[in-house]
Amino acid sequence: MTPQPVLAVRGLDKSFGPVQVLHDVAFSAYAGEVTALVGDNGAGKSTLVKCLGGIHSIDAGEYLFDGKPVQVTSPREAAELGIEIVYQDLALCDNLDIVQNMFLGRERKSGLVLDEATMEEMAAKTLDGLSVRTVKSIRQLVSSLSGGQRQTVAIAKAVLWNSKVVILDEPTAALGVAQTAQVLELVRRLADNGLAVILISHNMNDVFAVSDRIAALYLGRMAAQVKASDVTHSQVVELITSGRSGELGLQNVNGVTA
Amino acid sequence: MMRAGPSQEEIRRHNLGVLLRHVHLDGPTSRAELTTRMGLNRSTIMALTADLTAAGLVREELPRETGRAGRPSLVVRPESARVYVLAFDIGVDRLVAARVGLGGVILDRREAIRERGAFVLEDVVGRLAAFTAQMLQKTRGDTVCVGVGVAFSGGVRSSDGVVRFSPNIGAVDIPLGEELERRLGLGVPVAVGNDANLGALAEQARGVGVGCRDLIYLHGDVGIGGGVIAAGQLLRGQGGYGGEVGHMVINSGGRPCGCGSRGCLEAEVGERALLEAAGRFGPQIGRDAVRAVVDAADRGDIVAQDALARVGDWLGLGVANLVNIFNPEIVIFGGMLREIYLGAAAQVRSRITTDVLHACRESLRLRTPVLGDDTTLVGAAELAFAQVLADPLDALARVGA
Ligand SMILES: Nc1ncnc2c1ncn2[C@@H]1O[C@H](COP(=O)(O)OP(=O)(O)OP(=O)(O)O)[C@@H](O)[C@H]1O
Ligand SMILES: [Mg+2]
Ligand SMILES: [Zn+2]
Repeated sequence: MTPQPVLAVRGLDKSFGPVQVLHDVAFSAYAGEVTALVGDNGAGKSTLVKCLGGIHSIDAGEYLFDGKPVQVTSPREAAELGIEIVYQDLALCDNLDIVQNMFLGRERKSGLVLDEATMEEMAAKTLDGLSVRTVKSIRQLVSSLSGGQRQTVAIAKAVLWNSKVVILDEPTAALGVAQTAQVLELVRRLADNGLAVILISHNMNDVFAVSDRIAALYLGRMAAQVKASDVTHSQVVELITSGRSGELGLQNVNGVTA
Repeated sequence: MMRAGPSQEEIRRHNLGVLLRHVHLDGPTSRAELTTRMGLNRSTIMALTADLTAAGLVREELPRETGRAGRPSLVVRPESARVYVLAFDIGVDRLVAARVGLGGVILDRREAIRERGAFVLEDVVGRLAAFTAQMLQKTRGDTVCVGVGVAFSGGVRSSDGVVRFSPNIGAVDIPLGEELERRLGLGVPVAVGNDANLGALAEQARGVGVGCRDLIYLHGDVGIGGGVIAAGQLLRGQGGYGGEVGHMVINSGGRPCGCGSRGCLEAEVGERALLEAAGRFGPQIGRDAVRAVVDAADRGDIVAQDALARVGDWLGLGVANLVNIFNPEIVIFGGMLREIYLGAAAQVRSRITTDVLHACRESLRLRTPVLGDDTTLVGAAELAFAQVLADPLDALARVGA
């Protein structure tokens, strides 16, 4: 009944020196779905996705991709599997245009040299496939774009190379309402196009607007991963703030020791 | 005598329509692809394509450069620049006119603000006719208009295009289709439909609901309209007024509604309900006023947050009822409901979780329109194309092309 996740981790532990920040974490992401990753500040969301993206090594645990065990020890290995992370700071170059940015740092990796026309066509196709209509010209400099447009370009860059999993760490945090709406629609469209999307957000409206599943981290532990259609706003808030909500979540929070 | 089966000629005409619809909705398509999709043999497809080409509806050509080697096969593409319809969208606050080419390309478009106040047919029709004149002036001599479609924010009688009611525009028993046809004087029939009904069809044909047979489109434009597609068919109702979900009573004895009742979905969720709850009912109205509330809520204004949450809760209740009744695959929030849904999704979905049968919600998708603010306009265009897609040659003959 349950489909096989594209990406799954089980029993994941992660410490920074003596401080353990992730304990026995299980997490899955599915093709065609948005999985929201929620939790209070410091709960371990960014650390978890950095483990998924090969930026942090994991201390213990199993990492499965398409059902097969994998070792992901660098961002390069993650990218080879088709996992892309879009960070808050976006890492775009202001003095380059949209097409140049979308191909920045990519030409060598794929091994083939692309001509300008092909790059332009691929960029246009990608933006088109995401129904992006807010950018006027793909030859615009990134410095001339709004925050929402920059986010759009960063997301388009992440899906350019047939990625399978796209991870977005608080993509709407710095945006106003109108741009947030556009980015949310884009996030939804990525999943509707078949990708597995992982969305970190503190905004419960954003989470409920686009997610199929919600995973709540509480003090470095996975309190619950549930279908969004099975929970209410207040249940998710309880999971975030106390690690449990009735039957859901960690049943022995007080007894838990690191 | 028993009715004989369809004649060769009837089958050919039907197939011409089917082929044209493929190309209209999916864009340039190769003959090979059409052969597979229609389940006909190559020579039949070739003959049909030749007929449509001769009629000036499609053209065969090489696909655009793909950058790949090898000889690409010919594709059949719609004559978008030659064959077009006129589409009009009459909303509470705006009038839109567009020239839309076969294939769904918006070739030209005009938009004006509609002032609130009494509905004056002369005025509305006059402005749409003026827009049309401007757009037609810019068209080439060999173009042909094959239909006119109007999306109207109100209840439209399907038999004759008469607007029967429109609580938010104030038009009652207005012969809109007839009058527009007379004023345009193009000799092309004018079809009128409810905007939300047409929005549902548009999102199903070209939007987020492609491939969905059970779909509900909700359109917020001061009030709330609805279009319900069940088992692939738009629920029209006996007179054409089906899907008026905005007047579903969700709060017995609740806020007064423009229709004369109380506690209707649109009375609890509409523009006025939101603005009043936010303490912002005043000179600023329409989509901008709704956006201002969502924006204020996002910036931490607790009154706006509370108003949005309350409205989101009622919206969720209304949607919950619809989902229990129709078991749709997808519910689409269009018009100002896009902003309300995105700004209050936590409340909307919490209601659905608590009030909808598990089996009806487990694979339900909640979405905003892919066509954005053009959903209802695109719906009007599709309504206008209906004739030429049903029987291309007959429709062309009727418009004298
Ligand atoms: N590189 C690091 N070295 C040491 N400690 C770290 C490092 N990165 C994160 N931490 C710690 O790990 C814990 C989890 O941090 P993380 O950034 O994953 O939280 P988060 O859930 O993303 O929070 P926020 O919502 O504030 O972004 C915190 O206590 C943080 O201080
Ligand atoms: Mg973080
Ligand atoms: Zn009413």
